[in-house]
Amino acid sequence: MKQFVSRVIKNSVINEHFLEMEFEWNTTQVPSPGQFLTIRVSEKTVPLLRRPFAFSSFDSQNKSCSIIYQKRGEATEALSQKRAGEKIDIIGPVGNGFPRFEGKEALLVAGGIGLGPILFLSDSFRKSGVPTTLIFGCRSKNLKPVSPSFERENPVICTDDGSEGFHGTTMDYLNSISQKTGPGSALFCCGPHPMLRACHNFSTKHQIPCYVSVEQVMACGVGACMGCVVKTVDPPGFKRACKEGPVFRSFELEW
Amino acid sequence: MNLGIEIGKKVLPNPVGVASGTFGYGSEYEKLIDLSRLGAIYTKAVTLKPRPGNDIPRIIETPAGILNSIGLANVGVELFLKEKVPYLEKLPCALIANVAGSTPDEYCEVISRLEASDSIWGYEINISCPNVKHGGMAFGTDPVQTGKLTNSLRGLSSRPLILKLSPNVTDITVIAKAAQDNGADAVSCINTLVGMVIDTKNKRPVLPMKTGGLSGPAIRPVGVAMTYKVSRAVSIPVIGMGGIFSADDAIQYLLAGASAIQVGTANFIDPGTASRVLDGIVQYAEIHKIERISDFHSFLD
Repeated sequence: MKQFVSRVIKNSVINEHFLEMEFEWNTTQVPSPGQFLTIRVSEKTVPLLRRPFAFSSFDSQNKSCSIIYQKRGEATEALSQKRAGEKIDIIGPVGNGFPRFEGKEALLVAGGIGLGPILFLSDSFRKSGVPTTLIFGCRSKNLKPVSPSFERENPVICTDDGSEGFHGTTMDYLNSISQKTGPGSALFCCGPHPMLRACHNFSTKHQIPCYVSVEQVMACGVGACMGCVVKTVDPPGFKRACKEGPVFRSFELEW
Repeated sequence: MNLGIEIGKKVLPNPVGVASGTFGYGSEYEKLIDLSRLGAIYTKAVTLKPRPGNDIPRIIETPAGILNSIGLANVGVELFLKEKVPYLEKLPCALIANVAGSTPDEYCEVISRLEASDSIWGYEINISCPNVKHGGMAFGTDPVQTGKLTNSLRGLSSRPLILKLSPNVTDITVIAKAAQDNGADAVSCINTLVGMVIDTKNKRPVLPMKTGGLSGPAIRPVGVAMTYKVSRAVSIPVIGMGGIFSADDAIQYLLAGASAIQVGTANFIDPGTASRVLDGIVQYAEIHKIERISDFHSFLD
């Protein structure tokens, strides 16, 4: 983990809601899928806190990384205005990342803005020869990302309105292929909380491990303030999304 | 400039510390900054028993600030001594344990146990906690409770004893005097201001405990004003804090009467703040021919 000033390489809209920003990554600490970074978007006091974003890619040849984000408020609005060549203040990589996987089949489920870390994971699994299926869900085809990093992973597209690909949610699709899952399969998920809960339920029903990457409002991002905790049931208590997470085995968490 | 700051019988290496609750137990920031530049680390509050903390969400950003309701989540005094102190004691800065409790006995028990470790430089007493033996009223809102607590703790240790004052009172100088009169070596101010954010979509407070503590740049003028008043009401050193994000902010506190300062919320945004603040104070002192901290106090009435 380091704090350093990086430069924006590219910052583009990839669909109605999402942007993808590529920036220089000149430090020797290589991010792994599931990890994130925090960006201080402004020197002013509003917005105040750094904002966390999961890595969506790491390119060792280009020495660059990407994030996929959406405009939610002032900070992400300011981020969307940054142009190539502009500086950004980064702390990263932070967080635990997804674990190594040596099983038979990886089912990657990404909902909406949860796409970023899952895309990184898909790329990593594909390069290490893990049989991987990336399932991406969105409301309608205009929300499908238009980006080489996305298309490269041959995703299964699920649209709520059936305008493209499978007509239904990612869970509907997962249920439709559930007979194909078995020992050696595992779920890796990131997306809206109800989607993660549904993945967890699927995993307990079909007895396969499920790893979820969660989102939480963060203050320090490094494990000092105890602000970003999630509730755990196994054992009962709290764990920090920035330190013990953001990736958890789904059975650890309270749903 | 002479950077040493006398508190009780000891001397802080420099006037810049990092505030309790914003720096964990030190190690979380070791990869990001040079910890040896700090004058003091005020640890996360230490309570008698481990505390898991409050239900989530625990934090929300407000204009130029943060509202927090962490709930004094900490490992408890036993694990603090066993697992956290061995790392902290290797650092050259003053290791000041922030202590919290819900009864006077709890504070006393924590201090007694911390006395066993040679590495604890001194204590900062969090009196913003409700005294459950006194109807849940915060110790720090009542000069009598504050005085009694200070007196009890004074009897347990000869180490620097700092009372951390709450701003959520009618007259902070009355509380400060009660602390001084009962043996406190210094007071620190201010702790967080009580605040609330309501989610207008679902018509409920955002934080489960409804209110939280407000910190950050938004509260700086309140901190400076209270430091000004307190430093004129007591003769013991005042450690100022509240929204310090730059050397200029810190210098406001010093001119107001503070002998040392703490950087808190700024650590989240830029971990290098404390170090920059120290450099800025030294630079300012050179330009304005200030040779020791007390020289800062001669400019305002």
